[in-house]
Amino acid sequence: MSSIRLSVLTLFTACCALGACNADPLPPLVASNIEITAAMPGNKMSAGYFALTNNTDDVIRISSVTSPEFESVEIHESLLENGVAKMRRIPELSIAAKSTVTLERGGKHLMLKRPTGTATQITLNFLSGDTILLGVQAPISSRKN
Amino acid sequence: MTSNMRPKNLIFAIVMGSALAAGTFVATRMSEPAELRSATALPFPGPLPDFSLLDHVGQPVTADTFRGQWDLIFFGFTNCPDVCPITLQVLANVRRELMESGAKTIPRIVLVSVDPERDTPEVLGQYVNYFGEGNLGVTGTIEDIQTLTGALGIYFGKTPTSDGDYTVDHSAAVLVINPGGEFSALFSAPHVAANYLYDLPIIMGDD
Repeated sequence: MSSIRLSVLTLFTACCALGACNADPLPPLVASNIEITAAMPGNKMSAGYFALTNNTDDVIRISSVTSPEFESVEIHESLLENGVAKMRRIPELSIAAKSTVTLERGGKHLMLKRPTGTATQITLNFLSGDTILLGVQAPISSRKN
Repeated sequence: MTSNMRPKNLIFAIVMGSALAAGTFVATRMSEPAELRSATALPFPGPLPDFSLLDHVGQPVTADTFRGQWDLIFFGFTNCPDVCPITLQVLANVRRELMESGAKTIPRIVLVSVDPERDTPEVLGQYVNYFGEGNLGVTGTIEDIQTLTGALGIYFGKTPTSDGDYTVDHSAAVLVINPGGEFSALFSAPHVAANYLYDLPIIMGDD
């Protein structure tokens, strides 16, 4: 009885290893709800908000985000300490296994400085060191709140 | 002499005293304005100090500029991608909703720059106009801005960033200035439009 169960389990595992059980496995890293705000008049500054989901069993660390449409992209966090608003750069975004990190208004966000052109569609590359883990396209939206 | 008071008289005194206290409490409650949900009203509104700054078209701004209308003052800077535009958008939404609801009093939105190095009148003008008509941008020298902020208990300070640039830490409160040019109430962050729409009519006497 137990040997039959074991055989079935072995067969199932083998199928999955060959990719036959799930033709469309979850991608390791997914960006969703991306919003890139239009640069404010009077400066050349946009903000980026999104959710990053780690579908793997290991922590994923994003050390930088780049975009060819901006001279500089930094990961920041807005803080409110004793009534004082502060903005600080975050060295990396750490996303625990099987979890999601959300960048949202008044919290963690991307600061995108000095657009290189007038593109309305931009590319965001999420890197770990020199390796691009994920590249996504996103439109630049008008500000709404 | 209390110690010689007869029990019957003592009970009468207690009952009368309690009734008087309850009556005073009810009368006080009835004369109080509606309670504020988020803002803090200053018990003694204070005048603005003497100061001299520039608006976004280069015209002088003094304490007199704040007489004659209600003002909502926020201290921020245009190179701030998150907190400042979020706050100004909330204030712009509040103004629009007050107008649409037919409110008698519509406060003006004022952005006082805490980054005059980068916020010239021209830059500030483009920025405040983005959030609607009738807004006022104020800038000047650091010292002149500090004359205003110091008197109002507003903090700001430059902080270098790793790329050789800088950001500015600043108090996140929005101050309410009454038509007499007095600092009369404040809203602390985080700023929520619904709180303004509830509290402002009470503060401005439009409820």
